[in-house]
Amino acid sequence: MESKPLLVVGAGVAGTAAAIEAARAGVRVTLVDENPIDYSMMRLDVPQFFGRRAADPLPDRDLLLERVVASNDDLAEAEAAGVEVRLGTCVWGAFRNSATSRVLDGPQLGLADAERSWMIKYDRLIVAAGARDLAMSFPGSGMAGVMGANGAHALMSRYQALTSRRMVVLGSGDLGLATAGMAQDCGVEVAAVVDVASSARGDEALVSRLQGAGVELYTSHTVKEAVGSAGEIESVVLVEIDDDCEPVAGTEKVVAADTVCLAIGLVPNVELLGLLGCDLAFQSDLGGWVPDRDDRVRTSVESVFVAGDVAGFHDGMVQDAEIARSQGRLAGLAAAESLGAIAEAEALARSDELQPTAYDAIPADVLSGWRRWHRSLVNAGGMNVFVCQCEAVTRAEVIGLQPPRFLEWESQQAGRRGLRAQSGDEPVNADRVKRLTRAGMGHCQGRLCREQVSLLLADESGADIAEIPCMSYRPPVRPLPLRIMWPHDEPEQVRQEWPKWFSPTHRVLG
Amino acid sequence: MDSADVVVIGAGVSGLSSAYFLAKAGRDVVVVDKGIVGNEASGRNGGMVSERVDEPALIPLAVEATRTWETLADELGHPTEFVQQGRLQVAVTEEEMGALFAERDNALRHGLHAEMVDPGEIRDLIPGITERTLGGLFFAKGGHANTQLAVQAFAWAFQDLGGRLYQNTAVTGFQVSGDRVTSVETTAGPIAADMVVAAAGPQTGLMAGLVGVHIPVAPARVEILATAPLEPLFPLALVGNGLYGHQAVRGNLLFGGGAHEWTDVDLTTEPGKPNTPLIRSIARRLAELLPDLADVPVIRSWAGVVEQAPDYMPIIDILENPSNYVVVTASAHGFGISPATGKVVSDLVLYGETNIDIGGLGLGRFANVKPNWRHQRGWTPAPNRS
Repeated sequence: MESKPLLVVGAGVAGTAAAIEAARAGVRVTLVDENPIDYSMMRLDVPQFFGRRAADPLPDRDLLLERVVASNDDLAEAEAAGVEVRLGTCVWGAFRNSATSRVLDGPQLGLADAERSWMIKYDRLIVAAGARDLAMSFPGSGMAGVMGANGAHALMSRYQALTSRRMVVLGSGDLGLATAGMAQDCGVEVAAVVDVASSARGDEALVSRLQGAGVELYTSHTVKEAVGSAGEIESVVLVEIDDDCEPVAGTEKVVAADTVCLAIGLVPNVELLGLLGCDLAFQSDLGGWVPDRDDRVRTSVESVFVAGDVAGFHDGMVQDAEIARSQGRLAGLAAAESLGAIAEAEALARSDELQPTAYDAIPADVLSGWRRWHRSLVNAGGMNVFVCQCEAVTRAEVIGLQPPRFLEWESQQAGRRGLRAQSGDEPVNADRVKRLTRAGMGHCQGRLCREQVSLLLADESGADIAEIPCMSYRPPVRPLPLRIMWPHDEPEQVRQEWPKWFSPTHRVLG
Repeated sequence: MDSADVVVIGAGVSGLSSAYFLAKAGRDVVVVDKGIVGNEASGRNGGMVSERVDEPALIPLAVEATRTWETLADELGHPTEFVQQGRLQVAVTEEEMGALFAERDNALRHGLHAEMVDPGEIRDLIPGITERTLGGLFFAKGGHANTQLAVQAFAWAFQDLGGRLYQNTAVTGFQVSGDRVTSVETTAGPIAADMVVAAAGPQTGLMAGLVGVHIPVAPARVEILATAPLEPLFPLALVGNGLYGHQAVRGNLLFGGGAHEWTDVDLTTEPGKPNTPLIRSIARRLAELLPDLADVPVIRSWAGVVEQAPDYMPIIDILENPSNYVVVTASAHGFGISPATGKVVSDLVLYGETNIDIGGLGLGRFANVKPNWRHQRGWTPAPNRS
């Protein structure tokens, strides 16, 4: 099996900076990134919320690869520093020994490209897996054209393959404003920027620029529904909300658009950290569930470091790439020091210089904003709206712990249980909700519903969202075809020793 | 002090089935669990239901269970997703073919219905299955159910009858007076009880240790994977190419198999359930078994900790001392036989005996098992290597 001194996952700003820093310290570094991803994944909204607004067919893979490289100036620098860069390579699994599993001879990752999968060992791991789009549902949000800011950003900058013509952006923080600005630069007409807040939340200069270009700014508004035909969005109905997030009757506005871009927030991609058993905690100022880390970006698991959006995302990071870059360099330094490539004193001195930038912006509470959006959408759209598009599970079904509708279950006892505070003592546990209702069990692997399920559970049960256990992560954290997951390198011994149910054969793992 | 006629330890499928049938018989029952309903092995298995012809001592229980599954959801008032369209075991080697004939003969000897099918018939039953099958054994009574829905159905039906379910409540000890347990000590306080049913799965041995009794079980971790949902392909439970599994009603293929790993557990926390790279080898065997489906994505996997007695068979018995302590644990057979397990345990609590033959499942068979049996067998966790 391949073994690397330092693996860096994610070639964004933070991951590339980490790789360069460690390589310059003399570490042999391997940097993997899943881009360019396959169209089949984009259709599943993996790993971003692409909302079926990727050009079909996509440009051919070689051209996409060129564009991925061209969109990341730091990659050339990394290669010049001696970093081994592997693009088009996703990380679908992370495995290490624990109290109930001791068969591995060291921690390892599961990697895959378009053809095959393989395992790779590492001495140190830097996870710079970025963040994904925070999705929220409204009537019609299952139609093509509802997408997320990171998905739009990837299609615009990395792939040059966004097919939107007229876009409504939800969210007036820097994320939403920057997305709207980039869309305009790409020739997309931005019809409106919408926020539940009573004034634009982001950079004033960006707001002025957009308004100067004729973009309507709807504050104290939410989405009532998206309307379309043949599964494609044609317009979106906005409605004003009051201080209690209740829609104000008679204030509806219909805005023609083929795209609704959710730029309400980004959620750190902690799935690999979850698999590795890193301690995670809900931190409202860092965008949700994030790894516990010290100021040198070391996680609770020795040999695992984090940098960039995965370590915590806030709006201040949208405009200022130096935050992620500094965190990346901190990770590179910490990893290099722990591998003995540089002395502790030097690593500490250089970390001291980077820390002010890495933790520069003052993070804001994101939860209150998420909640306001969520409540307004619940109030305007009702409970009979799909939270989980993949499995067609509504808000009411989540809260009522309803069995999947395809069972058409009816009985005297049906519908008596549920998670509303007054319903009794049902445990408020997102994994349990998933297994009973199927919300989160679909092919997007819960990317589009995790936060909504947690918000619903918190709102309806009265529980603190930080106290509701994080829905667990399981490999593969990318949908992986059987023929790719298939271990082409499987030793013949595995077949010889494959047990017919129970018989002790530890040896075949390892 | 809190009290009940019966305290059931363990909100897995065996404990909740027992609690349900006891509550149905009018007993005041409390179920305690350190975690939540069906969050361990009961919710993380393959959901297989069969008459267990390969395990003669289990046949009476399994036959009763299979019969009960047919009407269980209606009885409980909550869905189980039970599908009874048969179970097919296919052979891809001559050695497996020989085992199928032996199993067929065994089934006929016990009066169970099982028939050999040829490769052509197998392809009719499982469209797209590998051309490599040499033959199969079909059991009409087999099937599968949804593990989490079924265990929750028992829990809700139990609660619908007035049963009390204390979740996130760990057992920490027992008060014993003479030859009887008088109360169960928990993290929520003591509960006085006339009878105790310990349905503690992998913790069975540790729990019995609290009353000074040695029960040999070894915990082990097993793994399963799930694909994206597909159109309905086959409603049967399928065993072959080293795997067991089925297509869920929703359409996902759920298949497990391969090497397990011996592990240790403790009394008050849920064991971690990490998957390992073994899931790649499971994926390979599934793609070999159903080659037309090799492009289907795997979207999830799960692991669970089950327990095994030295002879791989369930244990259902009343201890001699303390004499009001019923032990029930199923050696990874628990889900399929659970409806019968509950009836049997209920009988033992109410009458001290049962009409269903559990003669091979008592503790007497371990009379010569030494305390260090796990070490002797090598059924111990691998050394900790970080």
